[in-house]
Amino acid sequence: MQPRGQLRSAPRPGPARPFAPPRALLPLLLLLLALRGAAATLKDPGTVDAPEPPSPGMLQQAARAALHFFNFRAGSPSALRVLDKVQEVGWQVDPTRGYQVNLVFSTQAYHLQDRERRLGRCSAQVLFKNQKPGPAVTVRCAPLPEKHMLREDRLLFKQLKQLKGALNVSSIPDDYGNIDPSLRPMWDLAVLGSSYVMWERTTQFLYYYPLRISSVKQWKTSDHAIDFDYIILLHEFPTQEIIPCHIHLIWYPGKWLKVSYHCEDMQTPEASSGTEEGSAVAPTDFSNF
Amino acid sequence: MRGLLVLSVLLGTVFGYEDFVGHQVLRISAADEAQVQKVKELEDLEHLQLDFWRGPTWPGSPIDVRVPFHSIQAVKIFLESHDISYEIMIKDLQSLLDEEQEQMFAFRTQVQSTDTFNYATYHTLEEIYNFMDLLVAEHPQLVSKIQIGDTYEGRPIYVLKFSTGGYNRPAIWIDTGIHSREWVTQASGVWFAKKITQDYGQDPTFTAILNNMDIFLEIVTNPDGFAFTHSKNRLWRKTRSLTSGSSCVGVDPNRNWDSGFGKAGSSSNPCSETYHGKYPNSEVEVKSIVDFVTNHGNIKAFISIHSYSQLLLYPYGHTTEPAPDKEELDTLAKSAVTALTSLYGTKYKYGSIITTIYQASGSTVDWTYSQGIKYSFTFELRDTGRYGFLLPASEIIPTAQETWLALLTIMEYTLNHPY
Repeated sequence: MQPRGQLRSAPRPGPARPFAPPRALLPLLLLLLALRGAAATLKDPGTVDAPEPPSPGMLQQAARAALHFFNFRAGSPSALRVLDKVQEVGWQVDPTRGYQVNLVFSTQAYHLQDRERRLGRCSAQVLFKNQKPGPAVTVRCAPLPEKHMLREDRLLFKQLKQLKGALNVSSIPDDYGNIDPSLRPMWDLAVLGSSYVMWERTTQFLYYYPLRISSVKQWKTSDHAIDFDYIILLHEFPTQEIIPCHIHLIWYPGKWLKVSYHCEDMQTPEASSGTEEGSAVAPTDFSNF
Repeated sequence: MRGLLVLSVLLGTVFGYEDFVGHQVLRISAADEAQVQKVKELEDLEHLQLDFWRGPTWPGSPIDVRVPFHSIQAVKIFLESHDISYEIMIKDLQSLLDEEQEQMFAFRTQVQSTDTFNYATYHTLEEIYNFMDLLVAEHPQLVSKIQIGDTYEGRPIYVLKFSTGGYNRPAIWIDTGIHSREWVTQASGVWFAKKITQDYGQDPTFTAILNNMDIFLEIVTNPDGFAFTHSKNRLWRKTRSLTSGSSCVGVDPNRNWDSGFGKAGSSSNPCSETYHGKYPNSEVEVKSIVDFVTNHGNIKAFISIHSYSQLLLYPYGHTTEPAPDKEELDTLAKSAVTALTSLYGTKYKYGSIITTIYQASGSTVDWTYSQGIKYSFTFELRDTGRYGFLLPASEIIPTAQETWLALLTIMEYTLNHPY
């Protein structure tokens, strides 16, 4: 910017360009704008008006988050569950902490062959922390047939250990929705790992489904664990974006499941989700501001 | 002529199992009698294994010869040292033959009737366009094909019209595949087209519908996107238009309509999956439908089909304000869903777009509703996230069958409630 006239010596007080906020605040502003813009059905807990009961959308979000968390903690690829019916039991809003939803929900087995097996109900408390992803979840489900689960997982573990050519895998399922029967256990394990990621990324507005494994980076099996490093594509609602997440998991039936991940958000903050662990993508395009 | 020659060589291949890898076909021009004699000398050299397609006769007459790979150098040196000019007609005979064989087989496996068409599998754009032509040819009194425009990349955009006569009758519009990655929808559209020709004259309810109304069915609403899902990226959603000032391609055709355009529930970022475009109807794929609907002027129900989530939705997507006909639309949606579920127990939710799925501005049915098309609905077909877009082909027909029951409900209601 050229100085106007030669008499100007000291810089004027205040920002040089009054209508441009300091650069450091821009990402935050964009993020806030994005979150406010997204899915207006879901109530913003920080509003000035009296807090309102959770909308049906909010309730679904809470149930999704709770179920992802449950699946992750159960650590069993054989016993993955999907959401059935949801019912609100209570709610409370604390402006400093966030919006808490208490709910009960029923589930179905993820695996279609187990569809008929009766699964108990779950109850959960889900706290959406003001504009932050990774809601705090407390969830309890009716006792699982643990012995059965463990047996199935051990069988799955054996199948996975015998898997040949895992590193050559690309696209499970393929373009036509097919999964080779020998690769099904790998898909189930990948979905289990993604449960952790989906729980962490879910907010009042954003939810996910795992779409496909796009590549396998590493596959190590031993008597003690399966070490699985892969990229899975998550389908994000309501943005409709496809988010590639690089997940590294270590699993042993009945013993442990460890997950670390890094997701690539390609978009600028306007269409992105919240931050993920240590990998917030710096926005590079401010043209929409 | 060359085609015949090639064909005969091909037949030779078939019967003789010869391999023509690296063989070249040369066209020799003998300038005078002496040169003609020289080429005849070549003919006599058996070890060269030359195959003259057009033998040496007199000066000026082209001499065509197939030269096996091992003789090529020798022949060329011979011709050049005697100043006999030649050109290479076919650089590698085998690859030419392979190409032609492929084309022949492709033509042979192309379906010849909609009765032998495989509805339980996913098809390419060419296969679906071929299907449409077959259907029209088989039912010329009932079905016609209309071109409503060309895509950004120049592909024709087709709509099938099902009509038993009359002039500009009240009509039902159904579109599938506006988002190209939602493959079960185009596949269902193909099934619907066939179903219409089967049920007319057989099913009393449907016959009554088609005796009084027309049906317009656009099976591939986003042909460029659809071709792209086959060739490069199975998960492509948008159109394939280029946006100046951006390296990103495509506009979300379900955010490009002139209703609540550009509001929250769409993105102004060209790289986003919900980019609404620079202005309403910027996408020719959308504009073509807008023009068609406007010019027709008598469409009474408009149904736009997507996947996935198992939902039946009505306006609005861009605002929480209830549509004036909300009560009626809700009741109709409920009966449509009941009919759908009755077949295989598939569970659907229903309601307005904004309360049932999410805010979406510039969407198709918000616009059609604003144009006075009261029965405007959006479907989200199977599944609810297990496979998502990558729905196994085994689910195509069950999905189409149950969805058809919902469509019938809406069509029948529209017939009985003229406005």
